[in-house]
Amino acid sequence: MSRPKSDDSSVLLVHAYLDGELDPANALSVAQQMGQEPALAAEAERVKELQKLIHDRLPREEAPAGLRARIESSIGATERARTTPSWMQSWRALAASVLLAAAVASGATWVVTDSQRQPTQVAELLVSDHIRALMAPEPVDVVSSDRHTVKPWFNGRIPNSPRVVDLAKDDFQLIGGRVDVLGRTPVSTLVYRRAKHLISLTAVPIDGKLALGGPASVDGYNIVGWVENGTSYWAVSDLETKQLEMFAQLFRSSQNEL
Amino acid sequence: MSITPLRPRTGPNNPEGPPVRLVSDGAPGSIGGLDDNALFRTIVLPYIDEAYRLARWLTSNGTDAEDVVQDASLRAFRAIRSYAGGNPRAWLLSIVRNTAYSWMRKNRPATIVSVDDLEVVELEHAASDESRDDTPEASLIAKVDAEQLRAAIAKLPAPFRETLVLRDIEGLDYREIAEATEVPIGTVMSRLARARRRLLETLRQDD
Repeated sequence: MSRPKSDDSSVLLVHAYLDGELDPANALSVAQQMGQEPALAAEAERVKELQKLIHDRLPREEAPAGLRARIESSIGATERARTTPSWMQSWRALAASVLLAAAVASGATWVVTDSQRQPTQVAELLVSDHIRALMAPEPVDVVSSDRHTVKPWFNGRIPNSPRVVDLAKDDFQLIGGRVDVLGRTPVSTLVYRRAKHLISLTAVPIDGKLALGGPASVDGYNIVGWVENGTSYWAVSDLETKQLEMFAQLFRSSQNEL
Repeated sequence: MSITPLRPRTGPNNPEGPPVRLVSDGAPGSIGGLDDNALFRTIVLPYIDEAYRLARWLTSNGTDAEDVVQDASLRAFRAIRSYAGGNPRAWLLSIVRNTAYSWMRKNRPATIVSVDDLEVVELEHAASDESRDDTPEASLIAKVDAEQLRAAIAKLPAPFRETLVLRDIEGLDYREIAEATEVPIGTVMSRLARARRRLLETLRQDD
């Protein structure tokens, strides 16, 4: 069986047909032509097989974690976004009130501050810490997937070592911890990974000044917060909100593990 | 060849991706009330994964791809005002592609095929294409694993590779590919057919 050359227009039309690029009339005439010419039908079969192979074997990978953050910081987006436009202020206030309502509904202990500013500032500082960590050679100061290594590392570095839980079975891999500085307060941050996304989980002691609330996302980073035992927890990640909430849920429910 | 049988489109650019609405009642010096940063977020940031994958296929290296995408994003940001409201994905990918090729010319001059050489590549291939008359069963390639497939795609000359990647991996339509690779649709069609045939041949030889 002789094969038509690849620049034969009937061959190109078979490819275009398979790619859904033909209008109905032309699609029909190509389909008829394939019925009459086995060489064209064979071409179509091979292309379909190849497309299936590519689809099955080559999953589309995501850009590495941190690339977006580096791009954003290279264009100065993160800096300029600080001068929050007014529509964003009201959106943030709305987000904060939604969060607050959710917290009241869930019965969590929340400390309401005198204004919305503070939680917003905390959220922004934590997102900055997260971005800075993504840009650093290592996002953590102590590298370990073992919570019994990570927890003691914080002793002596900050007053209260954080609760560390192992969520590897739920596909949130502990990769280590670092000390962030919030204002002038050193705080502990655990870093978990899911696929290529990193989650910074910061424990902030509530001393009457810091509280939850604030935006659900800053500069494209999602934030999920909650309070347990006098400590507020803030998870920051480019992971989608649903998954981040799942992470928060898993972390909270594994409370009695230690 | 004629390209008239292609499906008619509604608009000049007919973006397939999420449309970006640019209304003209914005503040002075901004499009649709969006500043450069907001435009960048709407037009560029949603397609970073696509940008990274294309750069990775073109440079064959993840680290280089990150550098290319970062550089391309910066170029896109500087050129954001010149974005005319067409297909944002194709627009960004064309910048990524140009950035990748200038990066390759600078850092790996030996591997780059210049546009002049391309005609030769295409002619040579057309000749070898003609000489083959076997039509083995398509199912022969079913056993090919991801590594073999990746290596075979990597072996394609860049113009064929980018066309195949944009169509069969990224799912762009011909018009978007034409826009991203800056060639007429007829060229997209012939490159795609040749890329697929070449790839199939390589895979069968590996087998």
